[in-house]
Amino acid sequence: MSGGAFLLRLVLPIALGAALVFAATLGLDPYSLTILQFVGINVILAVSLNVTNGFTGLFSLGHPAFMTIGGYVAAILAMPTARKTAMLRDLPPLLAGQEWPFPLALAAGGLVAALAAAVVGIPVLRLRGHYLAVATLGLIFIVQSLAVNLPGITRGALGLSGLPPLTNPWWVYLVLVLTLLVCWRVKHASLGRTMLAIRENELAAACLGVKVARTRVLAFALGAFFAGVAGGLWAHLVTLISPSSFSILLGFQLIVMVVLGGTGSIVGTAIAAVVLTLATEWLRPLEEAAGFFGASQIIVAVGVILVLIFRPSGLFGTAEPRPFAALAARRRRRAVPPDPVP
Amino acid sequence: MLWVENLDVRRGGTHALRGASLEVRRGEIVALIGANGAGKTTTLATISGLLRPRSGTVRFAAEPGATPIEITSLKAEAVVAAGLSHCPEGRQIFANLSVAENLAIGAFLRRDRDGIAKDIADVHRLFPILKERASVPGDRLSGGEQMMLAIGRALMSRPKLLLLDEPSLGLAPRLVEQIFDILERIRDEGMTVLLVEQNAAMALDIADRAYVLEAGSIVLEGTGRALAEDPNVQRAYLGAA
Amino acid sequence: MTGAYLLSQIVNGLVLGAMYALIAIGFSMIYGIVRLINFAHGDIFAIGAFAALGSIALAGLPFPIAVLAVLTAGALVGLLVERAAFRPMRGAPQVTGFIASLAVAIIIENLAVMTITAQPRTFAVPAWLGTLVPLGGISVRVVDLAIVGLALVLMAALVAFVRFTRTGMAMRATAENYAVARLMGIDIDRMIALAFAIGSALAAVAGLMWGAKYGQISPLMGTVPGLKAFVAAVIGGVGSISGAVLGGFVLGLAEVLFVGLLPSEFSAFRNAFVFAALILVLLVMPNGLLGKSAETRA
Repeated sequence: MSGGAFLLRLVLPIALGAALVFAATLGLDPYSLTILQFVGINVILAVSLNVTNGFTGLFSLGHPAFMTIGGYVAAILAMPTARKTAMLRDLPPLLAGQEWPFPLALAAGGLVAALAAAVVGIPVLRLRGHYLAVATLGLIFIVQSLAVNLPGITRGALGLSGLPPLTNPWWVYLVLVLTLLVCWRVKHASLGRTMLAIRENELAAACLGVKVARTRVLAFALGAFFAGVAGGLWAHLVTLISPSSFSILLGFQLIVMVVLGGTGSIVGTAIAAVVLTLATEWLRPLEEAAGFFGASQIIVAVGVILVLIFRPSGLFGTAEPRPFAALAARRRRRAVPPDPVP
Repeated sequence: MLWVENLDVRRGGTHALRGASLEVRRGEIVALIGANGAGKTTTLATISGLLRPRSGTVRFAAEPGATPIEITSLKAEAVVAAGLSHCPEGRQIFANLSVAENLAIGAFLRRDRDGIAKDIADVHRLFPILKERASVPGDRLSGGEQMMLAIGRALMSRPKLLLLDEPSLGLAPRLVEQIFDILERIRDEGMTVLLVEQNAAMALDIADRAYVLEAGSIVLEGTGRALAEDPNVQRAYLGAA
Repeated sequence: MTGAYLLSQIVNGLVLGAMYALIAIGFSMIYGIVRLINFAHGDIFAIGAFAALGSIALAGLPFPIAVLAVLTAGALVGLLVERAAFRPMRGAPQVTGFIASLAVAIIIENLAVMTITAQPRTFAVPAWLGTLVPLGGISVRVVDLAIVGLALVLMAALVAFVRFTRTGMAMRATAENYAVARLMGIDIDRMIALAFAIGSALAAVAGLMWGAKYGQISPLMGTVPGLKAFVAAVIGGVGSISGAVLGGFVLGLAEVLFVGLLPSEFSAFRNAFVFAALILVLLVMPNGLLGKSAETRA
């Protein structure tokens, strides 16, 4: 990439985005600004989940588990020591004395989440398809259970409340840019091609010398890192983290974003995350007015089923939108019995 | 009794059949020979309703003198009911079903207990080993036994026309000969057979008539003997110099 | 710890295991025939509980009739879900169906919360179910015996159906190979629908039992038992009915004994224990206790 092109393709959009964030901080009311930050966090989550699920074809539901880990780590590290002595009297002295700057606490949350993912991933990523999905689902329960039952560190089911409101649009924007950059680089560098190779044909990839296991763990841990950071952002946006903050439902919503956006497509996933977050937000008042709580979730779920039936490669297509090819592929699949080996 | 006209089938990204036509007359063994990938299996799968053609028709008359009915768009289940039985490539025995159950499932659409019992006895007469091994799970049989079971199972629906895909596949020559003898015997008892084979020499030897399929089209047809003596067929399929 | 305490724990484990087993059978049957992990299965269990509440408390049906009503309700919901959500996407990658089943679960749960609120309800059962009967030195409630007894009867009936009937044979054939099953004249759509109907009916009856045993039901009660029953199905070997039964009882006993025998500070980790067991089983014996090789199914 030449200097000029680099400027055009990278610095310019980032500066443009920064200008928009600046305009938003000046022009928007606090409520809208909060929504905007949620949109940003959801984009971070969906795009990073796409590294695991889309690029590598590992179907993980575990993002909420890593968000919980990252959220607690960031919350504990960034919490003022005075507040710690009041709220978490049983905290190990090593942790009780820490009061980290927010970005470092976020990064630490991400790293611990990534580490957890690597440790869990080495054995669990041997599982295929929906076995992995269920194992990662189990991971959510295990992490929740630990959060509830380690009151010395987490204050149990009560959670950590009254966290300093450290998250602001700038931090969200910074992490968002980093996430997009890293995921974009990964997808278009040799690592990304390795991941795609594993997704398309694991055996062939292994025969070509791809280190399948290592790449899978890497993809899993990378996704978990951003999930952990996003968990920290989330916690310091709502100033609360509890064992039930990040549930299976959230995991499902993230999956929906990836599926609607097109598995493997960064732009598509980001657009889907924005649209879905805003749609849910806009539907909520309607729901409250009509007294039909849950209607928006039903609408989204029905939409997902319709997309899976009629546009299985996602609303926005994959990297190259080929809706017609996708439709043709579906018709074939229905005519022929399921092939045993892809 | 079977008229296949201008079948055009796409399968995956490939154009598997390009206007293939053939006819099977009552009481014949008709062989369909050709190289790997010529479209032989696709032809059978389309006739039996597992695949849908893009264009073309398949018509079938179960009884002599009956008006042929179009079976092109029938589901596979309905094609079986119409009197066609497709014995698939690679035998495809149900591994979790016993030998006896594999035979019984072949008669799935029939309700005549006595007739079924009689046909099981007939299959046991053709292939005595199947009686001996009746309670064994399907996947414990040897390749040759599985082939016998597959044919027996296909006969259990009491078809008027048997579609047989690669019966020689992976079998020792002696077993292949045995299977082909039995095919002739079934034919002599009144069955009609459409036989797909890569082993062209054996197939042409027992076939009354035969078709050569190349890249999705029929390129040659004639009696089994005529094709066996055709120099082009000899060069391409019979290994002659 | 006394022998009587241990014995009553074992009874509790068997009761819990019977319910897990009934739910797990559905998971296994549906997975066996369409390779789908039906995440909505736990919600059908919850629907069964409410169908039972409706038919006993509201309609005033006698208990045995209520069981039939619940079986029917479960079967109908199963058929509906299969027809509306899963049949149109048959042949798509497995994960597609799994996502769709998550969506179905969300639809059912939200519909339930919208119509009957998330509030737990009291599930009153006839008094005779609560009476105590002596059994080998301990007292056991009739409801516990009824649950285990009914579960065993249903399981035996199912096994006999799958083993010895023409339709059961056709279901086994369909589970093994769609194309060849069709060549035998089997309507595979009907067999798949039947698997959904049977599996859902059994899950619904488990919902009735759950209500009768614990006296309280809620629209969201299905998630955790549903997931645990899936664990049971995996332990037994997904796709195998007898494996699901075995896995259900093993998991029920293990969970109850984990809580009952270890010091109380561990009992809060009950769910973590179950899912850790799942991951362990998946890693050590991916085919479960009675399953066939996963490679041929993958």
